[in-house]
Amino acid sequence: MLATVDSCLLAGMEGRLVEVQADAANGEPRFLLVGLASASVKEARDRVRSAIRNSGMPFPQRRLTVNLAPPEMRKEGSALDLPIAVAVLLAHQGLKPPPRSAFLGELALDGTVRHVDGVLVAARWLHRRGYERVFVPHADAAEASFVDGIDVIPCADLSSVMRHLAGVEPIPSVVAHSPDEAQVARTTEHDLAEVHGQEEARRALEIAAAGGHHVLMSGPPGAGKTMLARCLPGILPPLELGEALEVAQVRSLLGELPAGRPVDWVRPFRAPHHGVSMAGLIGGGSGLASPGEISRAHHGVLFLDELAEFQSTVLQALRQPMEAGRVTITRSGGSVAYPARFTLVAATNPCPCGWAGDPRRACRCTPAAIDAYQRKLSGPLLDRIDLKVNVRRVPPALLASEPVGEASEPVRARVIAARRRQQGRQGCLNAMLKPARLRAQASLEPGPRRTLERWAEQQGLSARGFHRAWRVARTAADLDGSDSIDDRHVLEALGYRLHDAAA
Amino acid sequence: MPRPEVAGLRSRGRWPQPAGPRVALVGSRRPSPYGEAVAEQLACDLATAGVIVISGLALGIDAAAHRGALNGGGTTVAVMGTGVDLVYPAAHSRLAEDIIASGGALVSQFADGTQPRRGNFPARNWTMAALADAVVVVEAAEGSGALITAQAALDLDREVLAVPGSIFSPLSVGAHGLIRDGAGLVQNARDVLAALGERLEVLDDPLRPPPGAGFELARARDGLLVHLSEALAVDAAELARKVRLPVAEVVGRLTSLELEGAVRRHAGGYVRALRRGGGRA
Repeated sequence: MLATVDSCLLAGMEGRLVEVQADAANGEPRFLLVGLASASVKEARDRVRSAIRNSGMPFPQRRLTVNLAPPEMRKEGSALDLPIAVAVLLAHQGLKPPPRSAFLGELALDGTVRHVDGVLVAARWLHRRGYERVFVPHADAAEASFVDGIDVIPCADLSSVMRHLAGVEPIPSVVAHSPDEAQVARTTEHDLAEVHGQEEARRALEIAAAGGHHVLMSGPPGAGKTMLARCLPGILPPLELGEALEVAQVRSLLGELPAGRPVDWVRPFRAPHHGVSMAGLIGGGSGLASPGEISRAHHGVLFLDELAEFQSTVLQALRQPMEAGRVTITRSGGSVAYPARFTLVAATNPCPCGWAGDPRRACRCTPAAIDAYQRKLSGPLLDRIDLKVNVRRVPPALLASEPVGEASEPVRARVIAARRRQQGRQGCLNAMLKPARLRAQASLEPGPRRTLERWAEQQGLSARGFHRAWRVARTAADLDGSDSIDDRHVLEALGYRLHDAAA
Repeated sequence: MPRPEVAGLRSRGRWPQPAGPRVALVGSRRPSPYGEAVAEQLACDLATAGVIVISGLALGIDAAAHRGALNGGGTTVAVMGTGVDLVYPAAHSRLAEDIIASGGALVSQFADGTQPRRGNFPARNWTMAALADAVVVVEAAEGSGALITAQAALDLDREVLAVPGSIFSPLSVGAHGLIRDGAGLVQNARDVLAALGERLEVLDDPLRPPPGAGFELARARDGLLVHLSEALAVDAAELARKVRLPVAEVVGRLTSLELEGAVRRHAGGYVRALRRGGGRA
């Protein structure tokens, strides 16, 4: 008898359908697995055999052939264990699987169905392909239930799955989880209320949050750059449902979704160490690439402390995803695309010792060393950062006193209002406006235009820099609730550009 | 004044004829904007008065001095710590060309092809002092090479003068130490000329503000400028606190002042520009 069970494997954020065909024929007992299975899938044979035996069912003593279709696709991972076992048993019993259903799960030798990565991504993809029911490991049922319109059957072990299929003891499907909006108000760990002084950097972060701009902070060690960066997620609006699901999907692929609360409303904050490799930051690995830090920071904040210490090739690789909002990586197993729309917050010392420009402590670096350090920082990556601010050490007197700065909440309210204006006007944040749309959506009056042009002439601004300042000015105006870009908005925008010459 | 022959100097360009009085301007390689402006202005005024400005072609004060002398239409001599065929730092090749083109010279006691070596620079400083009638120290931190030149000048019985700076700046320590020990205090080119014994038509009101300061009146109208200094950078946040304005507003107004050339950005903040036209961005 023949049985065909559907499953899917993931390539990045996309699924690939796998048909598991099992044929149980009379003849010399054997168990054949064909269809370009990699070593990890070939092992499924042994797991399936043991899992069936240990579930209290005899392993069919027949000529079993399992074909994984399509045969030209290389199959990796252990998610095919459950569909293989189900296909074998159904073929043996002469039953058919329920229509428009798919199976995912790894089997333990005792028949328990174990967690596999990426169930949320798979369930969304299957739903789009018209599947109505998905059998997933019990542990992953909560995350799959976020997908609206697909029936999620939690599978604890193989025997209960078979009893369900035989109609003996149906497993109730998981109630669709509607994301808990109550968590939205959850406060983040770091609040601007705890930051002493640093008004300029606070303002730059507010603009960055409002317009989706990238920020560079330059200042001596201990000035509070890390603290400031950690406050950024707290002044960004909470994730919207679609965004939260995208964030959850990346985590799901990595197997990092907490079982209790799969969807989180707080924006991701990632701070990779400066020793991070290209594969770690951008994504990579053997076979099919897995997502890197930039994809984990999707819809959130990527914080790169000590920017000059990162390998320059790694930094240069950030450019393409920063423009595109996604990254495509090709490895031996094929090429995959991951989302990577993040706000970059970079921090750096002004010189190798960190004290150049400090009013009270002398810098010990030679001019040549400062030059080399600055050169390492400059270039195409820095050219893509809209806001550059100096951060200074806060005077000790100010540290001892109670911080008087604004808390994150009112800042966030302004940011949300400014973002709403942008969405209403142009359907995207200002930082994403291409020059043509910038001219159309953010027209400059003659006065402010002259200011910008005068500056560009005086400082030798590149075309890219010109548009950058323009976008920031638009965001400053949006924060102001103003429809037109005024002179003061342009002037402020130009203030957040560290000169190339100034150390 | 007896001028001992410095033997075996190699040179590119001409030793300026007729030989006028020679003043060496020396100081930090990493000056404050104030020091840089002082060196440039002083060199310019001295060159206009016919003085040959000597310096070392290094970054910072040296470069400002050469540039100032060229701006003043004068001649200037660079005493190098490398072979005359090798400009160090390389970024000053253009400046070196300009020095030669305007009738000045690059000179060196070292053989052609000599690379920059730490040990050579004190010897060069000595040569510089030997070639000059007076040495003016502009900004020099403790232990600076400029102080070696000053010591050499004292040993060679040359005039030593110094320009005072901000008492908050570590760069002022060297010059203030020299003044305390009896070096002449320099406020303008006239002070230097007087020390050289050049009798000049003197000298209108000594309290007359230096050229360029007419601009001061215009600047004073903006409330921000009184809180800015020429030597020490102040950041926008601190300024905003002082004038009690939102930081966004202050950043914008600073940019506007920068456009006018009244303010410059400098490591970690803003300083007042000393001259109109400001930034060398």
